[in-house]
Amino acid sequence: MRNRKTSISARRSVPRIRVADPARQGRWLTALTMAVVAAVLALGGLGARAQGAAVPTAEPPAEAAATDTRGIDEETQQLKKDAIDLNRELFMLEEELLFPANTQVAVFVSMDVGEFFALDSVQMKVDDREVANYLYTEREAEALLKGGVHRVYLGNLKVGEHELVAIFTGKGPNQRDYRRGATMKFVKAVGAKYLELKITDRQRRAQPEFEIKDWE
Amino acid sequence: MALACLALYAIVSAPGDARAAEPSLVGAPAPDFVLRSAAGSNLRLSEQRGDVVVLSFWSSRCNVCRAQLAELDRLYATYRPAGFVVLGVNVDDDVTAAREFAAGQKLQFPLLFDPTKAVARAYRVDALPMLVAVDRFGAVRFLSRNDKPGAAAEYVPALRALIDE
Repeated sequence: MRNRKTSISARRSVPRIRVADPARQGRWLTALTMAVVAAVLALGGLGARAQGAAVPTAEPPAEAAATDTRGIDEETQQLKKDAIDLNRELFMLEEELLFPANTQVAVFVSMDVGEFFALDSVQMKVDDREVANYLYTEREAEALLKGGVHRVYLGNLKVGEHELVAIFTGKGPNQRDYRRGATMKFVKAVGAKYLELKITDRQRRAQPEFEIKDWE
Repeated sequence: MALACLALYAIVSAPGDARAAEPSLVGAPAPDFVLRSAAGSNLRLSEQRGDVVVLSFWSSRCNVCRAQLAELDRLYATYRPAGFVVLGVNVDDDVTAAREFAAGQKLQFPLLFDPTKAVARAYRVDALPMLVAVDRFGAVRFLSRNDKPGAAAEYVPALRALIDE
């Protein structure tokens, strides 16, 4: 009977111990750490006050306690700031190591005339991996027609040969749904790479034309 | 004493739901998005800057949503000239069903489709219907998750006040 009671109480206590969320677990740990630090400091403060009772000081006890609290607050803030600074430095170091500035690749979209094509979206794949899928609003398409250039993708690529596939959707001649692709193999050398997805009208065939231009 | 209070505060504030720790959407800039509409065009929220925008998250399976969309349609017809825009954001997986629903409703304002739920996630939609009011400067002003029949009486005065600002 006693054993049974023990097992029930043990079973009941399980959900209290189990913490599924790591963030929650982290907060609990932080809270516990803070509580322990606060308790240690409080005990230290009591001890110091007990010592201080024998030796009279110029500062009244209330002011001393306020100064202590302020000091702890400042230290905590400084610690937090240091942790954030360190995190930022580590992040930047990681970024610099993994994605140096000269691995940068930018892809732009431009449109000329637009008589035979109304742009709706551009889907972009680099080495069979989708990197961008952009829906153009009427205003954005108008801006492109007025000579605007839109940066649809900015990322990093390793030095070497890569394949870029761009799929354009929109309305073609006679307001029919239109879907065309353009493919380009390009070599990424050291230094930034800029590519342009150009949409132009081919007057002779009365069809839009899609090409990828490498800005050397 | 102060230290004890600090420790107590740390303990009390530490546990809790992860959502509670997230900053509230109210007062923050409304997350921008672009979605395909039932009419075929694409709509971007930031292009509506200068108008009071109401986002109504709905599903074709939600009966309460129909009532809210109908109420918003009436408001849209009345306040459109004053710079009031309603965007109905559908969160169904199946866009075909949503399109059929949209065709049957004959609403005047644009109905958008969010099959990937990216926008719903950005707005932390946890109930349907959910209404998000965005002011002329693009900031979220209030949310309404009230699905009761008289819910309009709650949010309509607030929307009128927003339009009057």
